[in-house]
Amino acid sequence: MSEFIMLLLGGLKFGAIYSLAAVGLIALHKATKVVNFAHGGLVMLGAFGAYLWIVELGYPYWLAYLIVPLIIGVFAATLEFTLLRPLRRADLFATITATIFLGIVLSEAYRMAYNVEILAVPVFWKGSPFFLGDVIVTRDQFWVSAGALIAGGISIAFFRYAPAGRSMRAMASNVRGAQLCGYSMDQMTGLAWFFAGVLAGLAGVFAAPSKGVSPELAVSIISAAFVAAVVGGFDSLLGAILGGLILGITETFAAAYVSSSAKGAVSFLLLFVVLLWRPEGLFPERAGRNV
Amino acid sequence: MSDRIAMLTKSFAPSCLIALLLVGGFWVGPYPQYVIAFTMTSIVAGAGLAMLVGYARCITLASGAMLAIGAYSSALLALNGVPFLWALLAAVAFGLVAGLLLGVPSVRFRSHNLAMVTLVFQAVVILLIREFKTLTGGAEGLRTLNPNVFGISISSDVQYLVLIALAAIAVLPLISGLLLGAFGKNLRALASNEVGSRAFGISVEKHLIVAFVISSGALAFAGALNAPRQRIIDPDSFGIILSIFSLAGPIVGGLGSLWGGIVGAATMRLLPEFLRPVADYTELVLSSMVVLTIIFMPKGIVGTALSLVFGRKAVARTALTIRSTSAATPAIRPSQSETALVVENLSVSYGAVKAVDDVSIAIPAGSIFGLMGPNGAGKTTLLNAVSGFVTPRQGGASLFGKPLLKMPIHHRIGNGVSRTFQQVAIFPTLSCRDNVIIGLGHNSIPAVLARSVADVLSTRRSQEEARQANEALESVGLREFADLPAKLLSLGNQRRLEIARAIVSRPKLILLDEPVSGVSDEEIETIAKLLRRLNRELGVTMMIVEHNISFLLSLSDYVTVLGQGRVLAQGTPDVVVRSQEVRHAYFGEERSA
Repeated sequence: MSEFIMLLLGGLKFGAIYSLAAVGLIALHKATKVVNFAHGGLVMLGAFGAYLWIVELGYPYWLAYLIVPLIIGVFAATLEFTLLRPLRRADLFATITATIFLGIVLSEAYRMAYNVEILAVPVFWKGSPFFLGDVIVTRDQFWVSAGALIAGGISIAFFRYAPAGRSMRAMASNVRGAQLCGYSMDQMTGLAWFFAGVLAGLAGVFAAPSKGVSPELAVSIISAAFVAAVVGGFDSLLGAILGGLILGITETFAAAYVSSSAKGAVSFLLLFVVLLWRPEGLFPERAGRNV
Repeated sequence: MSDRIAMLTKSFAPSCLIALLLVGGFWVGPYPQYVIAFTMTSIVAGAGLAMLVGYARCITLASGAMLAIGAYSSALLALNGVPFLWALLAAVAFGLVAGLLLGVPSVRFRSHNLAMVTLVFQAVVILLIREFKTLTGGAEGLRTLNPNVFGISISSDVQYLVLIALAAIAVLPLISGLLLGAFGKNLRALASNEVGSRAFGISVEKHLIVAFVISSGALAFAGALNAPRQRIIDPDSFGIILSIFSLAGPIVGGLGSLWGGIVGAATMRLLPEFLRPVADYTELVLSSMVVLTIIFMPKGIVGTALSLVFGRKAVARTALTIRSTSAATPAIRPSQSETALVVENLSVSYGAVKAVDDVSIAIPAGSIFGLMGPNGAGKTTLLNAVSGFVTPRQGGASLFGKPLLKMPIHHRIGNGVSRTFQQVAIFPTLSCRDNVIIGLGHNSIPAVLARSVADVLSTRRSQEEARQANEALESVGLREFADLPAKLLSLGNQRRLEIARAIVSRPKLILLDEPVSGVSDEEIETIAKLLRRLNRELGVTMMIVEHNISFLLSLSDYVTVLGQGRVLAQGTPDVVVRSQEVRHAYFGEERSA
């Protein structure tokens, strides 16, 4: 039993990272209708930023949680403003293919600049693990799970209640209408990309100690975030968080009880089953909207 | 005759390119021959992807898996003593089946979900190859044999080049014929407007499944041809990166064109050879190039080159002008004793809302029947129920005694029901003539494949279709724009094009949903004339929904007014306008007690 709970908590940690990545993906999709396949690349840059800040520069670890996401957020907004701007009027086919290849550009550029093995980043909260009966919880597990989930919760609240979040939702439901009400398309799109970039950067800082920094991180995070988003219904931020947790836990159990190669297969199985059986996701935002 | 030569030239042009490459290949050394051979297989794969990605706009990330299926199946069969050509054929068969397996569950998804489902397929195939070590050699890979064709062992680069060139020359016309003929046009139609396609009997799902099957067959063919020269095939070389860069081909070359797929695939294959001095940067350069192409050169290499050479078509200007229409010829009106459409007690609900509530109407044959009512009265819903886009909760509808409601949409067109749309649903990238030809409705998969062959050979049948389409365009006044892409027309002319598409199949009943919405006053007059003339000349019954009341009243023989899903008044126009129910619904006038 205690082994089961420990596995569950281990899965929860990875799940929380996936959740945070998925929330960024969905927030951008809700605000701009863009499905950003380059989101994994942004997460990878966030993890790399954490490595630079903590290991190379030796600055205080806790500041990385503030500085790195801001930098990635600004980078994402700049990317949109300088490069992806013509895609605002393009169709889904163009935006999806463009972001797929942009993701490759990011991870290949990183590979060129830092062509080494996986870079290691120490954990944030060192020290002896907690013992709860037979169950052992490392401080890192506790911090990453709780921290990433709280960050996800805050961003949901921001998107739902803050004026900036409301303007993003207004733009998502009707661009023309939002423009007529005085919202600036440039500002709102920039804000949405900044917001998504901040979440990607934060997910990167949380992911860096357990996943390491490598170009492959981009691919593994984007596919996990995508599965989480589909499981959660793709237009629901809360659904994305739940989807991420479900994915993290199933992966961990599959690795422990079946085999390590089953770990990769199970996420695809989950995606496939949800898409075929409930394409609207397990936690769709609006049920019965036709009524 | 010249049409036939032009079509055949176009269909065999890709094969001619391969033949030229082959001839060029005799003059160069072994390594360039090796590269040219791989470029030829890339061209075959690129033609297949032009169908799925360029024409049907499906984002597939399973190309690597399909290439792997072709490579592994042919290599394993060859290792077990099967002659190379049979192994090649078997590999294509495996590819076709794999395309079916992937296509059937995938085609209900679009855009990002489709990308992810194909990614699942890709990952599972590679995982299986890696895990079934006893058969496939697992991650270490599988050694392939030199092909043996008619007793000749193919071992040198030049022999191999000849073999691949012949195989590619044989296969390419099949793909290019399908793309240039009716099948390719239907794919472009459904990629640009699914609703319009369905209305004229194009089954979107079945078309996409066929596109998956054929493009997977082409990829497996390319994979099987490559395998012997790769010497060792291993799962990693068929991974997701290969899929992603295969997807790049049709995008870089130019979407919606066969040559885009061919040029794009060749470019993606050849560029790394030129990047050899900076080989580490190959992926970075290629992916950056793709991003920049999508953003700044969305037409791709071929599309951009074409518009540079031909420039903007001067004729585009005239496409905006209003076409005058001749008045109705004093033809005999069909007798109105028979009833065309009968709708009995029809109800349609959206959840708790009754959009159409117990409506009964009868439309005399050959008449123009107007349907009016405030917003939300259920007019379009009634039209959709008759044309098959919504399923009524209860009630019946029949055309000349034949029940309609149980009929799937694509059968209704064969039974004489045709329609236009409130928001024009033309196919912008197709020529006006091809738009109208789709309206003929022979769009089931076997019919479309047969029509593609007929188009390539310019048989009498395909000429007859073109003639009928030209006639329909003539009767709406758009004959001179037959070869222009429909997107160049003005809104009023696009509405005329929809009318031409609706009448070309000689329907008994045309449903017109707001035919003059958004059209200038001047042009409203000419469209009214046009509709009246078509009604007289073709004897076709028309059911028109329109908010422009003066237009509707002047045109219609009978008018029904709907309000909140119910019939408020029926009769001739002058009776209906005097009805108090109608005055109440429109102007809020009190009903006198």
